[in-house]
Amino acid sequence: MNNEIWVFVQVNGQIIEPTSLQLITKAREIAGERPVVALITETKTMNVETTVKEYGPDKIVTLKDAQFHNASDGEIADALDQVVSDLKPNSLLFPATVLGRSVAPRLQAKLKTGLTADCLDIYFDGDDLVQVKPTYGDDIMCEIICPDVRPQMATIRPNIFKAVKHSTDTEIINYSFAFHPEANIEVLSEIPVINSSANISEAKTVIALGRGANNEKVIEKAEKLAGKLGGMVGVSRPLTDNDEFSHENQIGQSGNTIAPDLLINFGISGAVQYAVGIENAKKVVSINTDAHAPIFGKSDYAFVGDADAFMSALLEQVR
Amino acid sequence: MTNDKVSAQNMLHRMIVDFTANELAPIDMKIDQLGDYPEGLFQKVVDNGLLGITLPREYGGAGFDYIAAAQAINAMAFGNASMAVTLEGHFKTISQFLKYGQPELLAKYLPSATKRIFAFSQTESSGGSNPTGISTRAVKQGDDWIITGDKIMITNGGLAQVYCVLAKTEDDQMAVFVVDQDMPGFQFGKREDFIGLRGTPVGEIVMDHIKVPDYHLLGEIGQGHEIGNNAHDDARILMGAVLAGIMKHELKIAVDYSKQRKALDTPLYELQTIQEKIADIAIAKQNTELLYQHGAELKTAGEPYSEIAAMAKSYGSRSAVSAGDKALQVLAGYGYSREYPIEHLIRDARAMEIAEGTVEKMNTEIATKEVAK
Amino acid sequence: MKIVVCIKQVPNTDTVKIDPKTNNLVRSNVEGIINLFDRNAIEAALQLRQQAGGEVILLSMGPNSYISSLRDGLAMGADSAILLSSRKFGGADTLATAYVLSEAIKKIGNVDLILFGRQSVDADTGQVGPIVAEELQVPQVTFAESIELQDKNQLIGHRLLDNLVQEVKVHLPAVVTVRDEMNQPRYETPLNIQKSFEKEIIIWSENELAVDPAQIGQTGSPTVVKRIYSPEKAGRQTTTLPTDPHAAVTQLLEELNN
Repeated sequence: MNNEIWVFVQVNGQIIEPTSLQLITKAREIAGERPVVALITETKTMNVETTVKEYGPDKIVTLKDAQFHNASDGEIADALDQVVSDLKPNSLLFPATVLGRSVAPRLQAKLKTGLTADCLDIYFDGDDLVQVKPTYGDDIMCEIICPDVRPQMATIRPNIFKAVKHSTDTEIINYSFAFHPEANIEVLSEIPVINSSANISEAKTVIALGRGANNEKVIEKAEKLAGKLGGMVGVSRPLTDNDEFSHENQIGQSGNTIAPDLLINFGISGAVQYAVGIENAKKVVSINTDAHAPIFGKSDYAFVGDADAFMSALLEQVR
Repeated sequence: MTNDKVSAQNMLHRMIVDFTANELAPIDMKIDQLGDYPEGLFQKVVDNGLLGITLPREYGGAGFDYIAAAQAINAMAFGNASMAVTLEGHFKTISQFLKYGQPELLAKYLPSATKRIFAFSQTESSGGSNPTGISTRAVKQGDDWIITGDKIMITNGGLAQVYCVLAKTEDDQMAVFVVDQDMPGFQFGKREDFIGLRGTPVGEIVMDHIKVPDYHLLGEIGQGHEIGNNAHDDARILMGAVLAGIMKHELKIAVDYSKQRKALDTPLYELQTIQEKIADIAIAKQNTELLYQHGAELKTAGEPYSEIAAMAKSYGSRSAVSAGDKALQVLAGYGYSREYPIEHLIRDARAMEIAEGTVEKMNTEIATKEVAK
Repeated sequence: MKIVVCIKQVPNTDTVKIDPKTNNLVRSNVEGIINLFDRNAIEAALQLRQQAGGEVILLSMGPNSYISSLRDGLAMGADSAILLSSRKFGGADTLATAYVLSEAIKKIGNVDLILFGRQSVDADTGQVGPIVAEELQVPQVTFAESIELQDKNQLIGHRLLDNLVQEVKVHLPAVVTVRDEMNQPRYETPLNIQKSFEKEIIIWSENELAVDPAQIGQTGSPTVVKRIYSPEKAGRQTTTLPTDPHAAVTQLLEELNN
């Protein structure tokens, strides 16, 4: 057994899943003396290591085989098992993506070790990798360790850490292994999806309009802004009477419950009926002329003033 | 009660809570505005077996007792009082079938009670729920009866397909007969345009020489009055449950708002005037719950429950109207707005100061019983 | 078709509290409910049964109180239920849990399809399904948003990966974990609730299963919970932006980018 921290680099098509790079940076940050190793599975023509190298792992281990194109979870886990069982890292981190959360447990079962899912943080306490994860929603946190078995495995939630480039001498090892095709499964196709949900409850960014933003000019600008930010326009109940909006756009108790990363409220006072629909929004920005509007109590950022003026400024300054 | 029975009752309650939260509560305001159930909603109630909650297993129902049924109706009324009242009208009618119906009648009708609504009709245009002045006639013709007359203000009238009707025989005796919409001479009349419980259809049926066999008679000739009163009692327990559900809704709106809204920098709930109102609503809700539950327990245990049932509805309806008024005041301008459901909750509750016997009539009954003790 | 649906009972999340003295979860008096996503798995199984015939067997591991969530599954329409219950199974993490489930599935025998909800709402791991697939050496379709039976032995599933939809064909037996997008779970009808009490719930302990004592319960669990705590609930700290719209937007974008 060595003391290395390994990070599984997930590749979707030709693109590196950003979480993998974030994990390399995080691993470097907590590693101390421990070498950080990026583990890549790719087809022979791909050169993912070139990009990964920029993030400064001490070592990159690549597993190359043409069959990694459209490989099944079981096939990837089998390949990883060969190298992990052989080189015996101390820890092995996966992005908590669908793929990471599907492959890691199959590998865990082969290695008979522990795996903590969906961690929000990790740190070392001696040789123990302390894995911090939420349980029962995000209200209760749990610290989990795997004291007696190695590797210590965890999947880690995307976009918790920042990927930072770092230049170092990276050793690249092309590990030879045998790709074992799984007989009873076949990946028929992989079709890319553009992540623009037509459903406001799943939108990542929401521009919400209320009674204080109910005019043609502002609505038009809101649509533009939503386009720029890749989001959707939502409304509080009064605006559902407008021709351009329907119940589909409505946020609140009698409409949709939303959970965007960013919500910008224009001219919304923040009545209870509305507030219950936005409880799960991550960042909330609100614009209202009334400094005492209840919506400000539910917001991270408050702008007391004109919706139109703020919207224009946003349109100008958002690239 | 056995553990299984408690578990089943809890499961039913959870099912109704889920069904209400998903299917009814989101369209509560829409039902009020529409003045009807939206297309397909009633079918969902049927498809999920809710009409059969109290119907015995032998007829294809779930066979829950009245305690469980009242609890279910209470949970539903929290999200939408109209549909809860629709079930109330059906359940109370099934109760009369079970108590007074002849085996042949039960075998003919009850298996369909999971799919179609049964209604109980007493009122005529000649006056209120007071049955003595009715003009619907039942005339014996060989082995059959010929029913002729008009019934109005029937809960679920128009939606229901099977009707118990109170009629007078030739010798002026009161009796209850069962007719259905497929019988020659049966016609639907107009639907009422009521200010509350706007989802629940309330309508009229017109019977023109409907011929029914003798076994369509509930109980015996001369028992009509008693059966009518019994139907009232059974309805009142469930209406108590509806009213407690409405008050739970009113309480929630007032509490949520008081936590969220500030007067200057003080949250509303810290103000004594607001606390007073919240406490009043909570106490009235709790009292009504205790009354309807006790009524359901007495009925299930086979003990007299008429007076408690009257109390549940009399106290519950007045309280729910006044609790709605208090909740409205907590929300002030928003409470007065049609954007918030409070105004329609008040209109809904108001119906039950009248239906199934007015508050005044019930209080007379309660007082009479107290004096006779 | 013989379909096993593995379900988990979870506490009603609203009511979970931490004991400030012991730092343990206070589970007493907490109402247990069926894990939400598992209802989607049961629904998928019931639809497949409708299409292909066969039986739906519920499987769960936990204390006897888990009977209530199995009962819920039976009330949805499953045919029978097995609870793996023993003091020796206690304290199991995902590895030990999946091991016992796998052994139970082997004992049930001739199982065509094993369904899971995509993840539990409490521990949120989603890894028991893949571990069971590995233990049984069968293919998996995780996070499936649709499944379609091709014939008796084959199934095509669609799963949503992070930026692509993958279409996968598997030969049965297989493990599928079900996303909630796949279906709308049916309600337990009042009649089915009553009928659920007439269906059998079988209880198996380590005595009924060919399990290796070293791989079950706490002994068989590599992970240890070191600490549980409630993070400080950060209420929203509201930053008031400058009154000039341009300055306000500049500050906002700067802070959002950090």
